Amino acid sequence: MNESMTNNADEKPPVRRRPNLLWFSLAVLGVSLCVLRVAVAAQDGDAASAEAARTLWQSIGVWVAAFMTLGIFSFLYKDNPLYKVCESMLIGVSAAYWMVSAFWSTLVPQLFAKLSPTLVKTYAMPSLTPSETPELDFMLALVPLVLGGMLLWRLAPKGQWISVWPIAMVIGVTAGLRLVSALESDFLAQISATMRPLVAFETTTDPAGVATRSFDFWGTVGGFVGVIGVLSVLSYFLFSVEHKGVVGKSARLGIWFLMITFGGAFGLTVMGRITLLAQRFEFLFKDWLGIG
Amino acid sequence: MTNPQYIGGIRGFFARLGGIDRRWIFLAMGLSIAIPILLKLRFPEYPGPMAKATFAAVESVPEGSTVLLSFDYDPASAAELQPMANALVHHCASRNLKIVFMALWPLGKQQADRTIETVLKPLHPGYSEGTDYVQLGFQAGNEGVIKVMATNLSKQFPNDANGKPLGDIPLLKNAKDLGEFKLVASISAGYPGAKEWVQYGNGAMPDAFEVVSGSTGVQVGQLLPYYPKQMEGLLVAVKGAAEYEMLVEGKYPAANPELLGQGRVRMGPQLVAHLLMIALIVLGNIAMIAGRPRGGAR
Amino acid sequence: MMQRTIPIAILCLSGAIMVAAYFISSAQSWGETVTTWFNILAAVAFVLGAGNLIAMNLEKISSQRAGWGYAAITLVSFAFMLVVGLFKIGAVPNDKHPDIHFAGSYDSAASPFGWMYDFVMSPLTATMFALLAFYVASAAFRAFRAKNTESILLLGTAFIVLLAQTAAGMFLTGWIPEESAFAFLRLDKIKAGIIEHVQTAGMRAIMIGIALGIAAMSLRLILGIDRSYLSKN
Repeated sequence: MNESMTNNADEKPPVRRRPNLLWFSLAVLGVSLCVLRVAVAAQDGDAASAEAARTLWQSIGVWVAAFMTLGIFSFLYKDNPLYKVCESMLIGVSAAYWMVSAFWSTLVPQLFAKLSPTLVKTYAMPSLTPSETPELDFMLALVPLVLGGMLLWRLAPKGQWISVWPIAMVIGVTAGLRLVSALESDFLAQISATMRPLVAFETTTDPAGVATRSFDFWGTVGGFVGVIGVLSVLSYFLFSVEHKGVVGKSARLGIWFLMITFGGAFGLTVMGRITLLAQRFEFLFKDWLGIG
Repeated sequence: MTNPQYIGGIRGFFARLGGIDRRWIFLAMGLSIAIPILLKLRFPEYPGPMAKATFAAVESVPEGSTVLLSFDYDPASAAELQPMANALVHHCASRNLKIVFMALWPLGKQQADRTIETVLKPLHPGYSEGTDYVQLGFQAGNEGVIKVMATNLSKQFPNDANGKPLGDIPLLKNAKDLGEFKLVASISAGYPGAKEWVQYGNGAMPDAFEVVSGSTGVQVGQLLPYYPKQMEGLLVAVKGAAEYEMLVEGKYPAANPELLGQGRVRMGPQLVAHLLMIALIVLGNIAMIAGRPRGGAR
Repeated sequence: MMQRTIPIAILCLSGAIMVAAYFISSAQSWGETVTTWFNILAAVAFVLGAGNLIAMNLEKISSQRAGWGYAAITLVSFAFMLVVGLFKIGAVPNDKHPDIHFAGSYDSAASPFGWMYDFVMSPLTATMFALLAFYVASAAFRAFRAKNTESILLLGTAFIVLLAQTAAGMFLTGWIPEESAFAFLRLDKIKAGIIEHVQTAGMRAIMIGIALGIAAMSLRLILGIDRSYLSKN
């Protein structure tokens, strides 16, 4: 019988955990940073006067922002309630921001101003110019009003199918937009860009102003690399043809091109992530602690 | 793989290193960025071809023309993109170009506002709203916004961010569509952004204006195929920002250089952090090799 | 009919109008109108998202599931930001119409909404993404293994790009004159070659493949062949 399935008759006494010193250490560190902050501000006359010039709310804001930043960073040690509080606030504040932004920047001027221009002009947009065709604008605005209401029906417990109508319109418009743009910009234009002269020449002008056309070795290499690269990667993505023989070798070359592509992408991604972190540290050191 | 605890010597040390608590790696990464910031490490930047192309594209716009700057990013990407935005605004204003600000991201409008307050107004106090620059604000709809702007600007933006009708704004009262602008610059962190400006803006009016972009390192791979035929200039991550800052400041020095130096400041920690990344990859591979049983069996 | 035929008809019609507007100049105004409706619906989708957030968190609180306290924090912060923004509480008055409350700017730096953006939302969003720097380092240590030709190519390229992006590249190979025959060995030149030729070629091929996929999918939707968006009921 599996020893792990023994009953609880041999229950071990509860282990007394030692006090978690880490949180105490972090609290001491936090208080020390606060004391350091005040000391730096008091010592440096310029910083103190600059600090005095800041409004009270901005100062409170910097402390709130620092608290939020450290709260998110605390997740690196372990998931903890402080991180969860900050995360919850982020979700709530972000959702509200997007909704308020969409309401005042799009719904009011594009929808409500067409449905009831007098009301909007009186209470929200006093500079609103009267439309030359108010009746037509009103009729046309009824369509998104009705569809928008149907979209919000998705929140109702029953009748989910009602929201499919506006979703169908969104999908239809997106499909129509992308059908043309994808073929034009991402297909035809890219094929055109690939079809560069394989043998490249460069024109150089000497100090006397005489232009000389000469063979450009690295330009030629680049051209060959570009064409071969595109064709080999495309051959890799041809899954309806078995990757054997010439197609197989081409696909293998395509994989190598892809690996180099992803290696370069990784290098650029690392730079981006490090920059984000550097900016947060700049905020903590310069704006909050006043050091560095 | 052999249990690292049973491997002795240096080989065992490296094998056990592979199982190190990741929080030590976090600490190393934190220190590799914090220390250079505190020590104010700075390194010279040498502008590359893409930054030079972006600079040349803005330089080629005739003085007095109108340009469109689309702030398609949020605070999450501001560390990389805000330096580009600052330098771009200063560059355009230094060439007396009329600037129209807009955003395809809701938070992009705030980023544009902050850029106006912290860069445009202090460095170019003569610039006045309505005649030299306009803030159109944010509009929902992603590529749909660009699509409508391409044919009817006032239908998409009946008024600016302050509620003023476009017809009452001297800079835009005669503007019909995107053809009004000689240059469209998208400072872009993702969707919607520079890709959509190329597809729906440049695609609809290929010869009307030039497109340049500043992009995060993560997204730049998607934009490389557009350069240089569909996109005349491309700033790649914070390095592109630092290079562009150098070019702009070299020709148009700012009264307050600190406002245009963020890109170069943020390049300082990159050296140590990049070396740490390389060291971590090498150590990880050494740990893998050290943890293999002798004889090469896997 | 209401649940299947009409949505299919709406999708086909709206898609056809967008395609027609591109090729037929007289249909352009219809394309603009339909796109404007699309933009309004995109704004309504934000409202829908907020509504969904409220519903989910209220359900979590009412059922007292684990972590309901955090749901309460989410709702309180959402409600505060929403009320301050929608009702423009503390908004900076409009210069020309200071007596009209809703004409003011709700998101300027001096307003409570702007304060929440600058000191709550902005640092939280930025820091959340800054965490990725730590995880990229941890993942690089644990997962990047040079086991075969492909992974060696990937790692080698990553090393070149990582070095060339920083001052280390100039330190290691910057002493090679740019005009010399060996200038191609400079790390910045190698990196430029990788990005402008190899990476561009790879991404270009991927983009061509994606474009064909988008075109095929869009045609299937507009022609009514693909109906996966319809509800199953």
